[in-house]
Order: sequence, then structure tokens, then C-alpha cells
Amino acid sequence: MLSNRRIPAAAALAAAIPLALAGCSGGTEPAAEPSGPVTLTWWHNGTTDPIKSIWAQVVADYQKAHPEVTIKGQPLQNEEFTTKVPLALQSNEPPDVYQSWGGGELASQATSGKVADLTDAAKDWLSSVGKLAESWQVDGKQYGIPWEQHFVGFWYRKDLFAQAGITAPPSTLDELNGAVAKLKQAGITPIAVGGKDRWPDAFYWNYFALRACSADTLKQSVKAVKLEDPCWTKAGRDLQAFLATQPFQPGFTGTPAQQGAGSSAGLVANGKAAMELQGDWEPGTMSSLTEDKALDSKVGWFPFPAVPGGQGDPAAMLGGGDGFSCTTRAAKACADFLRYLGSEPVQNQLAAKGAGLPMTASAAASLKTESLKSVFDHGQKAPYVQMYFDKAFPTAVGAALNDAVANFFAGQGTPEGIVDAVNKAAAGDK
Amino acid sequence: MRRAGTPIGYVAAIAVLGITVVPLLFVVLGGFRTTAQINASPAGLPGPWVWDNYAAILGSASFWTFLGNSALIAVIATALTVALGSMAAYALSRYTFKGREGFYTLFTLGLLFPLGVATLPLYLWLRQLGMLESFWGVAIPEAAFSLPVTIVILRPFMRAIPGEIEDAAVLDGASRIGFFWRILLPLSAPALTTVAVLAFVTSWNFYLLPLLVFNDSANFTLPLGVATFQSQYSQDTARVLAFTALSMIPALAFFVLAERRIVGGLTGSVKG
Amino acid sequence: MTTTATRVRAAARPPAPAVRTRKPGARKKLELTFLLGPALVLFAGFVLVPIGIAAFYSLYEWNGFGPLDDFVGLGNYADALSGSVFQGAIGHNLIIAGLSLVVQLPLSIGLALLLNRKLRGRAVLRALVFAPYVLSEAITAVIWLLMLQPNGFVDRMLRGAGLGGLVQHWLADPGIVLYTLFAVITWKYIGFGIILLLAGLQGVPSELREAAALDGASAWQTTRHVVLPLLGPTIRIWVFLSVIGSLQLFDLVWIMTLGGPANSSATMATYLVDHGFKRYEFGFGSAVAVILFVICFVFALLYQRFALRRDTDGALTRMVD
Repeated sequence: MLSNRRIPAAAALAAAIPLALAGCSGGTEPAAEPSGPVTLTWWHNGTTDPIKSIWAQVVADYQKAHPEVTIKGQPLQNEEFTTKVPLALQSNEPPDVYQSWGGGELASQATSGKVADLTDAAKDWLSSVGKLAESWQVDGKQYGIPWEQHFVGFWYRKDLFAQAGITAPPSTLDELNGAVAKLKQAGITPIAVGGKDRWPDAFYWNYFALRACSADTLKQSVKAVKLEDPCWTKAGRDLQAFLATQPFQPGFTGTPAQQGAGSSAGLVANGKAAMELQGDWEPGTMSSLTEDKALDSKVGWFPFPAVPGGQGDPAAMLGGGDGFSCTTRAAKACADFLRYLGSEPVQNQLAAKGAGLPMTASAAASLKTESLKSVFDHGQKAPYVQMYFDKAFPTAVGAALNDAVANFFAGQGTPEGIVDAVNKAAAGDK
Repeated sequence: MRRAGTPIGYVAAIAVLGITVVPLLFVVLGGFRTTAQINASPAGLPGPWVWDNYAAILGSASFWTFLGNSALIAVIATALTVALGSMAAYALSRYTFKGREGFYTLFTLGLLFPLGVATLPLYLWLRQLGMLESFWGVAIPEAAFSLPVTIVILRPFMRAIPGEIEDAAVLDGASRIGFFWRILLPLSAPALTTVAVLAFVTSWNFYLLPLLVFNDSANFTLPLGVATFQSQYSQDTARVLAFTALSMIPALAFFVLAERRIVGGLTGSVKG
Repeated sequence: MTTTATRVRAAARPPAPAVRTRKPGARKKLELTFLLGPALVLFAGFVLVPIGIAAFYSLYEWNGFGPLDDFVGLGNYADALSGSVFQGAIGHNLIIAGLSLVVQLPLSIGLALLLNRKLRGRAVLRALVFAPYVLSEAITAVIWLLMLQPNGFVDRMLRGAGLGGLVQHWLADPGIVLYTLFAVITWKYIGFGIILLLAGLQGVPSELREAAALDGASAWQTTRHVVLPLLGPTIRIWVFLSVIGSLQLFDLVWIMTLGGPANSSATMATYLVDHGFKRYEFGFGSAVAVILFVICFVFALLYQRFALRRDTDGALTRMVD
């Protein structure tokens, strides 16, 4: 009787494997573009305001201007994208427009064969998007369009700086170390960092690498996914010296970046720490973590300081962006929609409502605080903008880098070890 | 009736209950504050009391939709699990046949594999069967996932029913299925209720499967609904806590209704 | 037990002739198919098949997109087993499993015994103790994350009670983070143990306890020599489910610490998500899942053979065929 029951199970298994493989193979979709009325499903991460209402308005406006297009917006919680997108790209009906962050992750997604190549569809207007669009290219082909950009720098509490007797934001590493010392003397936690989440730690190593390595080295290394230049080890050593000044809050390895008042953003928001190295989203995050209505006036921004002895430009910036990618079914309609997202009306709304940094300087005039305008200016003027390495590298390599840096912050590993971890992950080691 | 027990026992119990209850109070009371209040003073009591969170959630149609979806799926999954699980446990506990232990081990395999890993193949399988975006696509796999625990718990309970009762039933002319239906199941009420509660709570809190099966937010279950208060960079903690507190109520209510059966089930018949 | 009633009824009826003479095997097979079949089909279809396919992925290097075309055989398994992070994770799982037996089991039994008595407000107490189990793991993690922040709720309570010296970096200190997590796990799963043990206690007739008391046994002696042995099968199920649960631990750890800091709280399941699926290494992740499965399976087999054997042999009942 046992054998009677085993066979059906084995048959089901055998039948399922070809099913699974058939579902997995991509690239069999014809590129026929539907003419006539089109419905686009749109997966974005705007689950809350202000971005949620902005997107709702965008859909309404676009549908009015293009009556043959219907857009079904689907807000997804940010973390769910890494789970749902790979599965959707396995199916025959992935969303027509979905949020993507470019870099190595997009390159992986492109191997599914279902992500649309927008090079032709966008060639007329792609230049207006700017250099950031390069981060959404894979092998020279455009697989997505950004609609918002990000830059990383130091957000600081002007009131706490004043309390510690710091008159101007630091512009060199020495000055930063000096500021840290003064804050400690005044009994204030100098810098908050969200060590639990690992990527905030990585920002530091990323920036030290940006200061140590020339733009060419950075470009080549990222393209080859191989860290060979000694500047990469120098970055680790600079970081080591910085960590030795113990600038962070106690227990920083367990602090989340953005959740709750005990997070690094919450510490700065509530005046418990004076600085944090974060992206331009920081003011938005902080405002929800405190009752202080006057927070915006107390917060300022300065770029990552210059570091001596490196080949990198002291004005180079670390950044990234948010974008959308299209799938092959309705690529042309999708591309037209993405063009609209980069247009003035939308960009102005994004800037004015504090939903992010726009792509264009004219829209940037609508930014509400001096700090954000300062971030935007520095970003525009930067001689070189590097995408955060964990996004620029293939996902596995980026994750290995973040892990190695986080371990380094926790006292494990060496500057050389960080470089090794990246190279090993790139070589396929796990 | 015996004396109620030593003072130390009571002190210990109160300490344990205090530790149990306080975080729950944190959830319930947190819903009466604003996120900013919670962040400014995590351990504080509401002041002023904010009704907005609970009111907004209870007043939003989507909350009730999520609640209804969760309830429907949980009821279907629980019913399936208890029905099929009890039948299988009966077969595995009171019949002898070749390979019986093999089947039992087969069922326990479901406990041993991290089911989240099987999600990708399961998703493709459900898509093949056309079960996506449907309640059955969630309820049926959930029932399948809960079968191992159900069978593992029910089998010893069913085995412990004395053979004399079964013999007596046979003498009365009952078939074995009749014995199962009319005598064994009622006698197993405590265990059945236990597995029903466990299956219900598991289904109620299940996140990954509804996440994958549903894209249309009209079909979302309660755990997915929490996402509406979480953005890329922050979360509205007070709303999340209020939402959670409200979401717990049906599952707790089910437990309260059921726990009488767990305790009261067998004691009556023993006196008989 | 309804023995009095059945004896009366049986006495009133002449002895029935032996019933099953025709095709006993076929009838039994039919009954078994009816009883076991549906559950088996459901289980095979929605659990075994996906597991089998996932195990199949483990033989490939696959990023989750595109076709499965990079066969690596057992390469993923070798990579996983030779990594120090994974080995550490296995150790963490074993520590949690061990602690759950040493700490959670006595606690659950004690509470279940207490909640079984006729206390005032017993139903409310039971609901309260069970409530943490009703919370999803995700929300549990979020709440405790908020409460365990430096100078958060827990720290303030301790300081308020004069126990300020006990305050630690609960989630940031690699030396204690695992034990902090264990405390949260205990908080959450006590209810599960209690509900199970309460159900088991229903099978312990109060007459036995009363008889023991009449014989002069103290409460402790009665518990130890009468109640616990009869609770044995239930306890053994609890142990089984608890150890398996400890080996599979994921959600709570993931949300509270991501397995950190520096992998000091990594479990096998967080490792497989962190180094497997989050890095788009689906083949590797599946291989780690299979290794986790094998470890659980070995435990389950050994446990069934040695610990559950006495329950299987039916000490209290006769097997019917």
C-alpha cells in the first residue's frame, strides 16, 4: 500500500518540475505593442502621504490628458518589492510599471527578459533626465527611468552645535573630529548611526572610498566589480581612524535607522544626538519621530568633509535615486508615462510637498527648506556622483559589502577584509 | 476542594502575568497616543488621550474589508484543517496498517522545512492552478501548512481514548466511522478545540502567502493592512499599534469562546 | 467514562455475533482511503510538491530571474556548511532549543497547573496569558524593539524598580542579544505551551489527585508522581514542537536584529534569507533550507524513535485493528 501512494506523489513532482521551469524561462513574450486603450498596472511604494496623494493626482492628471490610458496604481510596502518583483517577473503578467532602484538589482531583473529596453522609446527626451539615468542602464541599454534623486550628507542640529561652541559646520575631517570632541565635552552624543540596518554604516565607508579613490578608479572598479586599487584599503583605514574617535551613541550596533524615537533619526529629531550621515529623506523621517514643530529651523546640512591624502574630489557626492522600470507588454505607453513623471508639473509637486529631490533645477526652486536646497545645489555641482555601492554592485556583492562594513563597525574584521569580502562575493563565493 | 495553593505560587503567577500583560498594554494604550508622543516618551501613559487613531481605523472601510477577508480565510482554513486533520489523525492513531508510521513521518515533514522557502514554487503552482487573487489560494495552502501540527497534536489524544469505549460502540452496532463521528470526536473536544485555535491564529497572522497571492488591495488581509501605515522611511507607530490592537480582538475572542471547550470538554463525561 | 451505562446496555442485549467476516481488508482499505486520503492529497499538493521543487532549486546557481541553467550540484551545500557564519547560526539555534527545554517547559507546566485550578477570573487570566501568542511575530518584534531601546520602556522600569544595575544594551551587545531574543520568544510562546498542557491536563482525572491527597501526599508529591507522568504524552509533543520551532526561528530575530550585530544572533533561517534570498541567490538559499530540513528531520526521527516510542506503543490503550 505504501508503494501505491508514493507513485502519485512522485508523478506530481515530476509533472511540476517542467511547470516550474517553464514558468521560470523568460524572453518568450512577443514585443507586440497594444494599440487602442491601454491599462497600466503601476507598482509603487507610495503607501503614505505626501507621496500617496501626489501619485493619485498624477494618475488623475495623466488619464485626463491621455484618455486612452488607464492607470491602476498599486501601493506596496517598500520591503515587499524584493519579494514580489522577482515572483511577478516569473509570471506572465508582471506589472507594467514597477519601482526600481537601478544598479546591480536592475541588471539581475533584466536577465528575466521581461524588463523593457527603453533606449529607443526614450531617446528623444532621455537627456533631460540627466546623468542619473546612467544608473538605470545595463550594458548600455536603458532599463528604467529615475524620477527622484538622492544625495547623502551630514544632517546636524544647529542648536546643539551652538551649545557645544561649534561656530561653523566642519569642512575637513580634522574639523569634523574637532566638532565630535567638542560635542562630547558638552555631554552631547556627537553622531547617531543606525548600525542595526547596516546600510547607514556603509555610507561611511562609501564616502571614505569616494575621497580616497579617483573618479576613474571608482568607475572602473564598479564596472568590473573588482576592488584592486590600494585606495580601497585606504578608505578602510580612514574609517578605522574615524571609528577610533568613538563618535557614535552607545549601543549603536543595535540602533535601527528610522523606526521609533530610539532610532538614529529619532535621536537627532529629539535632540539626543547632534549629527547623522543620511540621505535627503532624513527631514521627512525625523518629522514623524518628534513633537517638535520647529524642527526644520533647528536642522542644517553640510556635505561629507574633505579627507587628506586621497585622490578623490572633495566635492564628490554619494547618492542614488528612485525610478521606475517597464515590462515588455506595454513598454511604449509606460515610457510615455515615465516621461510625464519627469516633467515640470510632477517634479514641482514632489519638491513642494517635501516628497523628495526633483531632477530639474527649476523644480528645485520649490523645495521648502534651505537645507534641502543646499543638498540639491551640492548635488548639481558635484564633479562626480557615485551611486551607493550596495546598489551599484550586483545585489549579492553589495550585501556582502554592507555586512563586512557593519562587522567592522562592531569591531570585527580589517580594512583589507572589507575589500576581500567584496572581491570574494564578486567571484561567486558565499 | 483543596486549598488554593501556596503564596509563593501566587506571587510568581502575578509576576509572570505582569510581564505578559505589560507589553500588551503598551500596544493598546499606544493606540491612544500620537507617534510623536510615543517617540518622545516611550514608557508614558497617554496624555492627552488621542481617539483619532482608533476612530480613523474603525471608521475606514478598508479595515473592515481586511477584517472580513481575514475572517473568511481563517474560518475556511481552520475548518479544513480540523476536518481533514482529525480524520487523518484517527486513521493514524487507531488503525494498524503497513506504513502507518511512514505516513505520520511524512506529515511531520511539513514542520521540518522552512515553508517560506517553498513560497516561490508554491506561487508558481498556485498561478498554474489559477488560484491567485482568490481566497482559496490562501486558505487551502494554509490548511495544508497547519496539517502537520494538527496531526501531531491530535494523534496522541485520540490514541489515549480507551479501547473499551470503542469495543462498546462496536457492540452497539456502530461502524468505525460512526464511532469516529459520534464518540471519538466529542471525546476529543479539548484537543480539537486546541488545534482549531492554533490553526485560526496561524491563519490570522499569516503574512507571506496573502502578500504573494493578492495584488488587489480589496482582497488584503489584516497583516497586509498594516503596510498602509508604513512608508519607505518611517512608520506611523501609533496607528500601527492601534491597528494591531484591533486586529487581535477577533482571534482572542475565538480563543475565549473556545477555551471553555478545552477545559470543560472531558470533565463532564468523566463523572458519568 | 460511560462504563456503567454501557455495561447495562450490553447486559440487556444478547451477545452479538462476530461481525466482520466478509472482506475485512477491503473495508478497512476503503475507510483508510476516506480518512487519510483528503489530508494526504492536500498536504502532498501544497506542501510536499513545493518543498520538492525548492530542494531542486538548491542544485542550481540561480538569481530568481530567467531560466535555471547553472547546475552546480552540491556546490551550494559545500559553501553553506563551510561558512563560519552558518556554523555559528546552527549553534545559536541549538542554544535556543536547549534554553526552551530548560526554562520554558517548567514555566509552562507551572502556569498550566495554576490556571487549571478553580481560581477567580480564571478565564480572563487564561486569555491574558494566551494573548501574546495571538500577536503576530512581526508585531511582537516591533513592540519589543521599541521597548528594548536604550532608555526605553524596559530600562526605565528596571531603573524605577531600583534594578538599574541590570540595564544592558539588550540588542546591541553581541554577548547577550541572543538571550534577549530568547526572553522575547518565551514571552510570546508561553501561551502556546499552556493551551496545549491545559488540554492535556483534562485527561488527568481529579479522582486520582484526590485519592493521592487522601493518602497524605503533598501538592508537590501529587504533581510529581501523579500529574506529570499522565501529562507525559502532552509534554513530549510540546518538546517536539518547541525544538522544531527553535530550529526554524526566523521572524522575531529578523525584525529585531537582522541576525546581528555582527551575526551574533543569526539563526539558520535568518542566514538563508540574508545570504540567500535577499542577495538573489535562490539556489543557495534553497540549499540552506534543505540543510535546515535535514537537521530537523534527524532530530524528528531520533525523537520519534526514542522519546515517543512509549506513546506509540499505546501503554494506556489497546490498538484496535
